[in-house]
Amino acid sequence: MNNIVITNIFRFSGLILLQGLVFKNIAEGWEEFPYLFVIVYPLAIMLLPLPTPRVLTIFLGFVAGLLVDGFYSSPGMHASAAVFMAFCRPFVLKILEPRNGYNVNYSPTAARLGIGWFLRYSAALLTLYLFFYFSVDAFTFVFLGSILLKTLVSLITSMIFIIIYQVIFNPID
Amino acid sequence: MFRIFELFLRLSGFFVFLLLEVICFILIIRYNQQQRVIYENSVNLFSGYLQRKKQSATSYLHLAEVNDSLLRENALLVQQLANASINAAQEPGTVLSTSQASSFSVIPARVISNSVNRFNNYIVLDKGGNHGVIPHSGVITGNGVVGIVRRVAPNTSVAMSVLHRQTRISAQIRNKGYFGWLSWTGKNTRSFSLNDIPKDALVALGDTVETSGYSAIFPKGIMLGTIEKIKLEPGSNYYSLDVKYNVDLSRLATAYIVRDLLQEEKLKLLDQVTSEDE
Repeated sequence: MNNIVITNIFRFSGLILLQGLVFKNIAEGWEEFPYLFVIVYPLAIMLLPLPTPRVLTIFLGFVAGLLVDGFYSSPGMHASAAVFMAFCRPFVLKILEPRNGYNVNYSPTAARLGIGWFLRYSAALLTLYLFFYFSVDAFTFVFLGSILLKTLVSLITSMIFIIIYQVIFNPID
Repeated sequence: MFRIFELFLRLSGFFVFLLLEVICFILIIRYNQQQRVIYENSVNLFSGYLQRKKQSATSYLHLAEVNDSLLRENALLVQQLANASINAAQEPGTVLSTSQASSFSVIPARVISNSVNRFNNYIVLDKGGNHGVIPHSGVITGNGVVGIVRRVAPNTSVAMSVLHRQTRISAQIRNKGYFGWLSWTGKNTRSFSLNDIPKDALVALGDTVETSGYSAIFPKGIMLGTIEKIKLEPGSNYYSLDVKYNVDLSRLATAYIVRDLLQEEKLKLLDQVTSEDE
């Protein structure tokens, strides 16, 4: 049990640092194509163990978002999207529930539930995250086309990095 | 109680979500330039919309007040109009110009009750002695003459309507000067007859009949109606003209009580002269 908590704390801080110091600079190198964003840190919320209380999940999303906002100097924008994603996590889990259900003590990882399941799960949550984030970024639905394009492009690139993360670490919990 | 607590516990995730989102949006609006501008513009648009809605909703509530103030304003205009002919007639240096500035006072009033279906009809008005109404004042509207005040109480007055067997209004034909007496025929609310116009007068159908101002009750020149039919009884020296009355007395909401401030003086003088001759 303690092991899982420590793993998650490390993953949480590590992914946020990675997001702020590495992935932010990747996206900023593409100025003539402003649709590309690489957002990987939501993995820290996605991979929280299944028994994590809902309120704690949402709160951790808020904290993670605020920390990333610190790197992006956009107070509240990542935080609002992360809170939204954390709020949606139980619903996505319910929709993607395997036929024989979850083992309640596990974390929703590729190692536990299969790479196919994990890709659907992370893509669904990341889509929610990106759509919310770019909507808040535009702050109006007048530019819905641009919001959707940004979501799609960023989703593809971010998923590539999430898969790379999976391949490198392949976390069990 | 336990059920409510249970429900609250089940929804606690949602409440935390809402609370944190509100905090996030406060942060976004406060610290992000672009979002703040959009937010402020939207809020301004929305509050402007609300203001306009509120305006249009409350303007109905103030309709009565607006009506009252318009009535007062109208009364002032009627008064000016009634006195305009008098003022214009005053040549500088004549006795009139030094003695009188205006002759008619106008008091706006609401009609409390009214009748049109009897032989002798009366109108009750919401202004009385406290407001300066005295008996034998005229009652008019923007369209013409309505009646003559008969009795005055402190806050109400009763006028005999022009739809009264005894009402006779001193009238003349506009721009022609022939004068006679207008009275109600009793047939319907719009049918009046104008008598005492000499038969050598040039009258035509459609001529306008207006007040003559001789009776010292109404100002000169208030429209009464139009000539509808010209009749000449055999052996009579006077026309009997059918007049279509201009005011629809069955629809009466407001009226102006006009008072000739010189009425008493004029009538007293006339009385003296007629009694001297008898």
